[in-house]
Amino acid sequence: MKTGLNKILLLLALATGVAFADPIPAEALTQGGLPMRDRQLRDIGLVLRGGRGGFIDIGYTYTPSSEQLQLKSQYGVHNGYAFRHHYGVFGSWVLDPVSHFGFLTWFDRTGWDSQDFFFFPHYGDFAHISSALTWGFSYTNSKYDATVALGLQHQNLEKAGWRAYPHESDSLLFYWAHARFKNVSFQGSFYRNTFQTLRISLELESRELYGGAGNGITTYLPNLSATIYRRKTGDDDDNFIRLNWEQNLYKQILYADVSYDFPDDGFRSAALKYYPDPSRMIGFEASCLRRHERSGAKDLLWGGAIDLLFLRFAYNSAFDYENMFHAKGTFIVEFKFNIGSTPDGKFFGRGAPKAAPMETTQSQFDMKKFMKNRTEQNMGTPTYDAQGNKILHAKGIRYEKEGAGTTSNEGGY
Amino acid sequence: MKYLRLFLCLVALALTACMSHLFVDTTTRLQLENKTDVTILGLDVVSEDGSSVRPWIRDTIEPGEKSRVFEEDWVGTFRVRVRFDKWNAGALVSIAKACGTYSRPNRVYNTLAKQGEPNVIEKNISGCGSEENVHMVYTETDLEFEGGSQYLVVSQDSTGNVAFKFK
Repeated sequence: MKTGLNKILLLLALATGVAFADPIPAEALTQGGLPMRDRQLRDIGLVLRGGRGGFIDIGYTYTPSSEQLQLKSQYGVHNGYAFRHHYGVFGSWVLDPVSHFGFLTWFDRTGWDSQDFFFFPHYGDFAHISSALTWGFSYTNSKYDATVALGLQHQNLEKAGWRAYPHESDSLLFYWAHARFKNVSFQGSFYRNTFQTLRISLELESRELYGGAGNGITTYLPNLSATIYRRKTGDDDDNFIRLNWEQNLYKQILYADVSYDFPDDGFRSAALKYYPDPSRMIGFEASCLRRHERSGAKDLLWGGAIDLLFLRFAYNSAFDYENMFHAKGTFIVEFKFNIGSTPDGKFFGRGAPKAAPMETTQSQFDMKKFMKNRTEQNMGTPTYDAQGNKILHAKGIRYEKEGAGTTSNEGGY
Repeated sequence: MKYLRLFLCLVALALTACMSHLFVDTTTRLQLENKTDVTILGLDVVSEDGSSVRPWIRDTIEPGEKSRVFEEDWVGTFRVRVRFDKWNAGALVSIAKACGTYSRPNRVYNTLAKQGEPNVIEKNISGCGSEENVHMVYTETDLEFEGGSQYLVVSQDSTGNVAFKFK
């Protein structure tokens, strides 16, 4: 009875998730470049907080129904699939006891197409597919606890369907640089001689992973960052600053994350995040985002997400609204995996303050013991006849070559 | 446990994304049948503000005739316009554009449709300087296309309006 009810509830939830989904606007697709590049640089910033060890991130969003994330163009509403495929890899090598040399590459392919796909899109008449690739090199000096990194960022338009989208620039090349000293970092990305984003981050929270305290009052200090975004309204510069404030609320397992836009737009988003373990392999979040579409409380988009290491379920989450073309009103499933490792072999999730607790067991391989166990298993318990002689049971048949023990030439053919 | 395994298999199957190509249509193969007593000049998809027009059925269809099949990437809900050479019934709205005061035909259509009034519009624009002279008798409606083969019947209902029906 109980499982029956659960099943009905699950089906209802799925049905509402699909039926009340809102189509994504075509403008959100054409303006998706900046959020995509900025998210990659923010990720890179988190990884370069350590600048040593490695990090891997891979993800594939999955929306099973073609009516789930439809496209709203000027002609009406098109059935199809919005998608976001991404990966990120960072690896570092030890040059000498204090120097670490790293290479990183981040790639996103996002858009909308009338068919879903793994690698080869359908390229329908209304498809919009674009990608961003960020790569670069890093150098970390662990004696001074400092990192510098720089590289390039490519944004490419793979396909934009006829008449549905305004003209866009293709093959944009940006360059970026990142510098960190202890818990202060600067990051900038540029197009030709103008900046696109400039960010300063103060990670005041003490993190055990980077040599800080594991508990105590210093773990309750805030992580702050301010980013200047270049924005044009018509011909005028309309730059704005986004403040992010991440705050440990309880034992580094409960966090608040608030963002605020200066000077005009005000409150942007807030999220309450709960990680059962500070290593952030698993997380739960509730988020609230202001869309600037309506006035008052109706403008707020409430949602949440569950992150289960390999799988992420989200409904109306602020992250998906910003990174999946204003997707809302539907469940988004992402098959994903991300994990970081420290040089001494500990693992952690993205942005974690502590490494995952691991049991280390010392095991040495003992060949003799292994062989003995194996032989005993094969033989089984020996049986004895009435006289007390051991009986051997032969298993299988073995043919021996005539003249075994001599070389084959002398076998006498 | 049995269902979990089945569920995982289904997920894996659905995830091999190309499978969806077998049961999801990305195009609509549309054929139009004219059951009115006037000639249909064509069917277009128009944008909401009327500024962009994409022709779909490019045949002239005599009363009682069928068009050829045209395959296009329209799957979803779109605003469709059907053009006629004339409209015999009394249910007809005329928009004669006098330069300077121009009522947008879309607006007219929307308000009329709600009241159950005539849904065929005759638009006459002439002698407006730079603008082209237009004489067009048409109707507009939002239609949902599910993809695959679709057969649309355009007819005239008892009140003299245009009626659409998928068969």
